[in-house]
Amino acid sequence: MSDEEVLIQSPLMYRLLRAPDGTLTLEVVVGGFAMYEVRVRLTAEEAEQYAREGRAFADRMAQAIMANPPFGGRSVRG
Amino acid sequence: MQAMLRGALLCSLFVAVGCRPGAVRPTPPPEEQPSVTAACDDTQKAISQAADTRASPYGIDQHVEKNFKDRKVSWLMPEALYQKFVVQTGAKNFGRCNDSGCFLFAAPTATIQEAVTKSMVDGKHDPAVIGQALGLPAKNFEGPLRMMTLDLAASKSCARLPVDEDPGVWKCQTPEDTDCFKFGGYTSGGIPEIMVINAPVDQATVAEIP
Repeated sequence: MSDEEVLIQSPLMYRLLRAPDGTLTLEVVVGGFAMYEVRVRLTAEEAEQYAREGRAFADRMAQAIMANPPFGGRSVRG
Repeated sequence: MQAMLRGALLCSLFVAVGCRPGAVRPTPPPEEQPSVTAACDDTQKAISQAADTRASPYGIDQHVEKNFKDRKVSWLMPEALYQKFVVQTGAKNFGRCNDSGCFLFAAPTATIQEAVTKSMVDGKHDPAVIGQALGLPAKNFEGPLRMMTLDLAASKSCARLPVDEDPGVWKCQTPEDTDCFKFGGYTSGGIPEIMVINAPVDQATVAEIP
């Protein structure tokens, strides 16, 4: 059982999770007719942006991950 | 002699069909099904028309006739994702949802079913075999899977060619790229694909793939 708190469960098929140490992670469903999941840990700057903009930022970042799942080498398989 | 033979042949033909001219009925022409775009709203119809123009002389109707003749589509999800994003959320529709609808990539059921069947060894699927059959990396198929199937005709679901702007599209950057989106109705691995809008959860069949 994960000890991460679900901050956002989006119909766009992603979740924003917060670990006990405060770290934020996006868990995003990617792929076409064969879906899979990748996880990207938010940087301090991204976490600040999320704090400022909320869900709109999370939507944008999740869509950017769907559009390029390797996400510059930052994503790991879920 | 020839006349006798002809007579015998004719007689045997009548015996085969019931010896009554009225018993020979022509096979009725197959019932023409409406286009899969018939169920789309105006926005999706417009997107579909633009996609067909771009793909011309190909288009969604030819695509369905060629690859989805039985109107049955399927897609795969790891078990954990199915639980997290379908079961736990009580989703009404499959796919990625925004204000315009829920968008789902699907492939011909027969294609996916064949790949799954071929991959089964001792009651479990082999990700490498499914991956090879579907032109995708094996790691996309690791762990237990769910295979969903939807009859587009029975569910009266809207479908069209997928486009670059669809949620979840990962556009290929070079012709050599795989596991990414190329416009035209086929994956980069050469599998036919279709975009289904608002695929209803309660009308899909769901199979477990251990």
